[in-house]
Formats: sequence, C-alpha cells, structure tokens
Amino acid sequence: MGIAGKVEIRSVRKHYTVDGDRLQILSGVTFDVGSGHFLSIVGPSGCGKSTLLRLIVGLDSEYEGDILLNGERIGGPSRARGIVFQDHRLLPWLTLEQNIGLSLENMEWSAQDKAEAVRGQTALVGLSGFENAYPHQLSGGMAQRAAIARALINKPGILLLDEPLGALDAITRIRLQEELLRIWRVEGTTMILVTHDVDEAIFLSNEIVVMSAHPGYISKRFIVDLPSPRDRAGNEFIELKRLILAELHLYRQKAQSDTENWMNMASLI
Amino acid sequence: MSNLSAAACTVDATETAGKPAAVRSVSLKIGEFTRRFGSPVGLVLPILIVALWQTAASYQWVEPVFLPAPRKVVDAFWLMLTKQDLFFDFLASMNIVGQAFVYGSAAGIGLGTAAGLSRKFEQFLGTTVDTVRHIPGIAWLPLIVLWLGIGAPAKILVIAKSVFFPLFLNTLQGIRSVEKNYIELGQVLLLTRRQMVRKVILPAAMPNIMVSLRYAAGLAWALVVVAEGLSGLEGLGFLIFRAQGLLLTDQLLVCMAIIGLVGFVIDRQMYALQCRILRWQQGFKG
Ligand SMILES: Nc1ncnc2c1ncn2[C@@H]1O[C@H](COP(=O)(O)OP(=O)(O)OP(=O)(O)O)[C@@H](O)[C@H]1O
Ligand SMILES: [Mg+2]
Repeated sequence: MGIAGKVEIRSVRKHYTVDGDRLQILSGVTFDVGSGHFLSIVGPSGCGKSTLLRLIVGLDSEYEGDILLNGERIGGPSRARGIVFQDHRLLPWLTLEQNIGLSLENMEWSAQDKAEAVRGQTALVGLSGFENAYPHQLSGGMAQRAAIARALINKPGILLLDEPLGALDAITRIRLQEELLRIWRVEGTTMILVTHDVDEAIFLSNEIVVMSAHPGYISKRFIVDLPSPRDRAGNEFIELKRLILAELHLYRQKAQSDTENWMNMASLI
Repeated sequence: MSNLSAAACTVDATETAGKPAAVRSVSLKIGEFTRRFGSPVGLVLPILIVALWQTAASYQWVEPVFLPAPRKVVDAFWLMLTKQDLFFDFLASMNIVGQAFVYGSAAGIGLGTAAGLSRKFEQFLGTTVDTVRHIPGIAWLPLIVLWLGIGAPAKILVIAKSVFFPLFLNTLQGIRSVEKNYIELGQVLLLTRRQMVRKVILPAAMPNIMVSLRYAAGLAWALVVVAEGLSGLEGLGFLIFRAQGLLLTDQLLVCMAIIGLVGFVIDRQMYALQCRILRWQQGFKG
C-alpha cells in the first residue's frame, strides 16, 4: 500500500543527443504536486510530456535539476510510483491476466491473494471474461484498460498516467475518468496525468499545467477549484476551458473570428 | 513448404468458438490432420512423381538395376523389415539424432542466453565460437572417431556441435533484439534479474529460438545419415552406403524414402511445437 507522496520538480532540463546534435527537450521545468493532489499536464505533441514522466518514474537519470519525492531525490524506479505508458506496453506473450499479475511478481503475497487481486482489477476495468486473451486479441481500448489495471494493482502512492484514456470511446472514457476519480479519492493517490483532452484535465484535476514546446517548459499553471462532482457543461467549467485553450493557442475569441469572417466577406463583396 | 505450413498454424481460437459440438469435432479432426501434415493438396505432386517413376520402370527407360519399379522397392522394404534389422537401424539413427539434438540445443540455448545477457561472456566466447563454427561437423568426425571410436558417442558429439551453433547464434541475436520498451516495463515493475530473463527476455527471444530449433532438427537428421555413412556399422546411413556398394538399388531407395519421410515428420512436429509455443504471436498467415 503506497503512501501518497509530494513530488517536486525543480528546474529540470533534459536533452538528447541525436547524431552528435544536442536536442534540448525540457528547459527548466518547475512545478510541485502536493501529496494526494491530481495534476494534469497538457501541451502540444512532442513537447516532452512523456520524457518528463520517464524522468519522474526513474527510468532515465540523465537530466539536470532535481526531481524530489517527499524531499528526496529519486534514484531509479520504485514501488511507490506506478506508470501507465502511452503505448499500452502489454507483453505479447502473456495473457491479459498474466500481464496484470506481472506487477505482483515479486510481492510476497499468497498465490490466492494475487489471483484475487488480479480478478478484482480485471473486473474494475471491465475486462472480466478476457483473462486468457493475448494482447493481439484485444482492442486498443481494452489493452489500454489492461495497462491501467496493471498499474493500479499494487496501489502505488504516485500514479503517472501518460494519456491512458486516449484510445477509448467517449462512453468508456467517461466511465474510466470516474473510476480514476474514485480510486484517487479512496486511495488518496497522488496523480500526474498527461492528456490532450482539456475537458478531461478539468474534470479530473485540482491543478493543470500547460507545457509549451521546443524546448518544453511550463507556460502556465491553473488551479481548478470547482466543486465536485463537476458539471462538464457548467459555466465555470467552460470558462476555464476557454482560458486553457487560449494558453494552448487553440482558441480564438468567437467575437474576433466573427469579425474576421465579416471582413473576409466584406473583401469579397 | 511455407504455404502448407501456414494453414497448419492457424490458431484454433477462432476455429473452436461458437460451433456446435459435432461440427466442431469433425472440423477439429480435419484441422488436426491439416495441422500435422499440411493440406491434402500437398499429396498431388508426390503421387505424380510416383506415377512417373512407375512409367519409367515399366517402359524400362532406365535399367532396372539402377531404377527398380516401385513395387520392388516396397517388397525390399518388407524384406528389410522382417528378415533384416531395418527397424533396429532406424532406432540407432533416431537415438543418435535425439541425443545430439537435446544436448546440442540445451548447450546452445544455455550459452546463447549467457552470452546474450553478458557482453563480457560473449567476448570471451566470441573468437572461439566464430572459428570452431566454420569447421564443419563432418570435418571433426575423423578426429573424434580416433578419440571415441566408431560407436554412437562420436556421432552424437559431432551432430550436437552442428545443432549447437544455430541455436547459440539465434538465441544470442534474439536476446539482443528484445525491445527496450519491454525491458523498461520490467524495470518499472521492479522485476528481479531472474524474473526479467524468464518473463521478458527469453519469451521475446523465443521466435528466434524456435526457428533455429526447427532448422537444427532437420540438420541433425540429415547429418546422421552422413555420419553413419562415414563410420560405424549400423543406422540408416550405414545401410544406404552398403546398399550402394552391393548394388541393391531397391534397398538404397527404401532408405532414401525413409530418410525423407522421417525428415518430413520431424519438421512438421517441430513446426507444430513452434506454433504451440508462439501462439501469442499474431503473424502473417499468408
Ligand atoms: N530517445 C530519444 N532520442 C532522441 N529524441 C527523443 C527520444 N525520445 C524522445 N525524443 C524527442 O523528444 C521530444 C519529446 O518527446 P515526448 O515523447 O516526450 O513528447 P510528448 O510530449 O509525450 O508528445 P506526445 O504528446 O505526442 O506523446 C520529441 O521531439 C522526440 O522526438
Ligand atoms: Mg507522449
């Protein structure tokens, strides 16, 4: 059982060297995630979101700056942090059940407890009946749900989610969003979610950071203090969405674009 | 070969789902047959060849001493089986191939895994392996026979050597080409080294290993004939060279047919095993 943790990211810079060229990916990323908070990261494709999660989970230690977990610098992967990768990354030679169970591989539980936990997790993500299917027999969304189950099963204190709901249909997506919220409330897990979906970010998180690309940095931070359950069509919700989209340069004021249309039409006349 | 085998590898998941039991059992039987021996289409060409052979023999296109009629070959087979030691010779060959295959592939997979996991060990073995590999197994035989005599052990050793190299190289290559993503997943799940090897690295290398197992099984069977022909007084290889010496062309053809058929069965069994072990793979089925 993980104890939620506080994550501090301090001036993290990261570059890759490609064919001798230095490619700066992150340039001074700084933000905190309080213990038990739900933070979402939104940003354009290629801005370094997945790279950042890799650093936080401890797969890559070649960076400048500090990533602190409860005040201590992280050194390698640990049970306290779970991750759902952007690609589902199920092992093709294991059945769904075995894939989910892989998380428990070196836990000192009885075989029966493990089987029970796997069954419970499988049911939670709605995959009961597919226990013995191989990944190539699953749909993209099913595989993604299995990956979520695998990350949740040993109840990490910090859960990193890299667009975990990207491959899902709207209905399943909303169901799993609610499921994530439920788990977050019940377990008090610290959540860091990468998403392209601004609605999803607002619906789930108490904080949203917007990243800019080339090189990546945090361009803005939003606190979401809407009451829950959140109304996806509520005024405050929409207002916040407008602000975030504007920050992402995806939103032009309606009035303005109307004027533009007018002017275009005017020029045609 | 490949299009015959492709039919055989279709996984039964789709086949067994949602059909009435009776239909299923029939289609399973056909499926089972197809899986093992390939589609009946594969029988057309052999039948044509035998027909041509029969014609050639009937019209005496070739002298009967050099090409006896199919009927005479069947008679020779019966004679060898009942009056001579054909079955015993067959077992002698199988015994050598079986042992050589097991030892050679166990050593190949074991050392290949070790070399795959440790660059140091690979470098340590590298020079030796790459040199010894190029001396054909058969070239070793004379020396080994001097040491071990003309009995089975010398042949087992030589054939095991020929089985070893494809397995060693393919296991090594298979392990080196495991996707880094999967290793990272294992790291995140805090798998121990042992678990990583068992759950991630070896299964990922399994397609390579299975291909070389199948190849090596065929190779071993082919080599036993050569090895027995070169030394020793039993086995199918011995029989075939003796038949040549005595101009018993019918017996020679019996041996050739047995060698071909056994090779075929070995290959199909290995392929079935490969399909079973790699059933998680979703490959191009042709
Ligand atoms: N191993 C690597 N070597 C070199 N460059 C890399 C490597 N991994 C990622 N990059 C580069 O780093 C940049 C950021 O990649 P990253 O995967 O973090 O983007 P992202 O924000 O997650 O994008 P998306 O939203 O599309 O998933 C990309 O430009 C990519 O080309
Ligand atoms: Mg990404």
